Amino acid sequence: MKYVTIINEQRYEIEIDNDGSVTINGELRDVDFLNLGGSLFSVITENKSLEAVIDDDEGKIAVMMSGRLFETQVLDERAMLLMQRRGGGSVGSGEVHAPMPGLVVAVSVEHDQPVAKGDTVVILESMKMQNELKSPIDGVVRAIHAEPGQAVDKNDLLVEVRPPVAAE
Amino acid sequence: MQTGPFNKILIANRGEIAVRIIRAARDLGIPTVAVYSDVDRAALHVRYADEAVHIGGPRPAESYLRMDTLIEVARRTGADAIHPGYGFLAENADFAQQVMDEGLVWIGPSPKAIATMGDKQAARTAVRRNNVPLIPGTEAGMPDDELIHAAKRIGFPVLIKAVAGGGGKGMRPVEREGDFAESLATARREAESAFGNGDVYVEKLLLGARHIEFQILADARGNTIHLGERECSIQRRHQKLVEEAPSVFVDLDLREKMGAMAIAAAESVGYVNAGTIECMVDRDKNFYFLEMNTRLQVEHPVTELVTGVDLAKEQIRIARGRRMGPTESLLEPKGWAIECRINAEDPYSNFMPSTGLITTMILPTGPGVRVDNGVYSGSEITPYYDSMIAKLITWGETRSEAMLRMRRALSEYRIMGLKHNIPFHINLLNSISFIAGQFDTTFVERRFNMTTYEQAPSPDELETVAIAATLYAHRKRRLASQVVAPAKRDASNWKWMGRFERMHR
Repeated sequence: MKYVTIINEQRYEIEIDNDGSVTINGELRDVDFLNLGGSLFSVITENKSLEAVIDDDEGKIAVMMSGRLFETQVLDERAMLLMQRRGGGSVGSGEVHAPMPGLVVAVSVEHDQPVAKGDTVVILESMKMQNELKSPIDGVVRAIHAEPGQAVDKNDLLVEVRPPVAAE
Repeated sequence: MQTGPFNKILIANRGEIAVRIIRAARDLGIPTVAVYSDVDRAALHVRYADEAVHIGGPRPAESYLRMDTLIEVARRTGADAIHPGYGFLAENADFAQQVMDEGLVWIGPSPKAIATMGDKQAARTAVRRNNVPLIPGTEAGMPDDELIHAAKRIGFPVLIKAVAGGGGKGMRPVEREGDFAESLATARREAESAFGNGDVYVEKLLLGARHIEFQILADARGNTIHLGERECSIQRRHQKLVEEAPSVFVDLDLREKMGAMAIAAAESVGYVNAGTIECMVDRDKNFYFLEMNTRLQVEHPVTELVTGVDLAKEQIRIARGRRMGPTESLLEPKGWAIECRINAEDPYSNFMPSTGLITTMILPTGPGVRVDNGVYSGSEITPYYDSMIAKLITWGETRSEAMLRMRRALSEYRIMGLKHNIPFHINLLNSISFIAGQFDTTFVERRFNMTTYEQAPSPDELETVAIAATLYAHRKRRLASQVVAPAKRDASNWKWMGRFERMHR
């Protein structure tokens, strides 16, 4: 099976054979990958013993190794094909969702307002903290689905930003 | 009653601090009563306590802040003392008074001490009587023209602070005299809209200041001592993230002077029980009283490790009216201790809090390692309470031994299922400025970030991560395709799934 795995925008071509042997970027690699229960794994590669906690969330695989968190994307042949058809990396969605349940303290933008990537659009209070939710893209505010004082659930859509027309 | 005998403690709190108090009580052979909200039925403090009582809904106002319910539960379970922990009702003088009026023992200072120290102006007035140095500043309630004169007298830069503010909110620095009038107007407007009170005062802004605090212990027999300092300068948005004891900045001479000041501040309100005097110390080692926290602090374990004193146990002993264990102030701490607060916050996206199920958690152990923990694998982190889930504390003979042990412990610590700040701590422990003790309260916000590692992951490490992630995805896919394969088997997929799971148990 052939995969392309992406970490920190770096691509690795990895092949896993039916006998379990692993090739990375064309080089055969000696790997012993053992599940220790739950999401904990032991990896011994070229005699190096490491532990990793691996979880997946909506297609992304998070690997915690040596105390650091790596977000990876593992694409098989079909997923690669799909991505190529879409013309490389898709443009990020302009939707701002609630990352956790909370209370909307303020909506900092108005309808039709131009925003830059990283501009604060909503302030959400959760876990006794006020959190600034930012626009994921440059664009114009197309719709606002939240108002101050409103309690929202995780993943609720709060604001939609559409890319500026000129860019299309 | 403020002190007196008791035989059962109700803990009006949750999380790691409730567990900490249960442990102290158990060490003393005293039974405990835990209380819990709808979402805390499976919490660790409920599992560890001798008795547990459900008190209401998930929002603090529906459960952990309900004074009459807590007192009623104490009555019903025969608990004759209440320990408030920190946060929630710990610094609520009315609650302390109600507890005492009911004839229960309040494990904490008197309501009067709580009320005085809880009011900035009253606290300043009280400690000034005992010649405790204060940051030069004005009183509240002054009109604009008087504030401008006062600011000039104090000398720029200054800080405009909202009387009703706190926890880092409602503060505005002013660098130059020319900017003062405009900043004052803005500060008043902000204070009015945020706190419903536009009153402000002006304080000198200290440059390169460190946040250093002293642990106080006082019993009802007239003894007041200090147990040395804690360095709390590693903070973000005025939330402490790392604390250590002692401080690299404090020598024996400064410890003696600041310790004497801390005792004088505590005595100014007739303080009894454990408390903390927070100070600002500038580059020239001038120190100023900031405020007193009239409760057990989050970071109390670093003091415990370098003094050998169990502060939670001493709190109980003092509340029982006994003489406290240590009799003299501690001027020479034994070794060094560091604490990292483990928060469910994502350091890679602006420390956004994270909620959800902890799928895996493996705690570090080994020499010099202590974890004060309130959660476990399978715990649900909800949005109702603050994001701190555990504290990791290490001890060493020297600061560098404590730090190396912290690095080891952080690398053993595994939490999955939600985002947490362990990568932040690892990055911090690799920072040369931090290791060298060169930091002040602005360090994390101004001179530290998560995108540049002082030690970047090696190409080999990245390759290993890539392989592990791919093998994980590969196995998962194979498992899925086996299960969903069309019925070549005689049994249905559901039956087959059940057998498959039994086989792999």
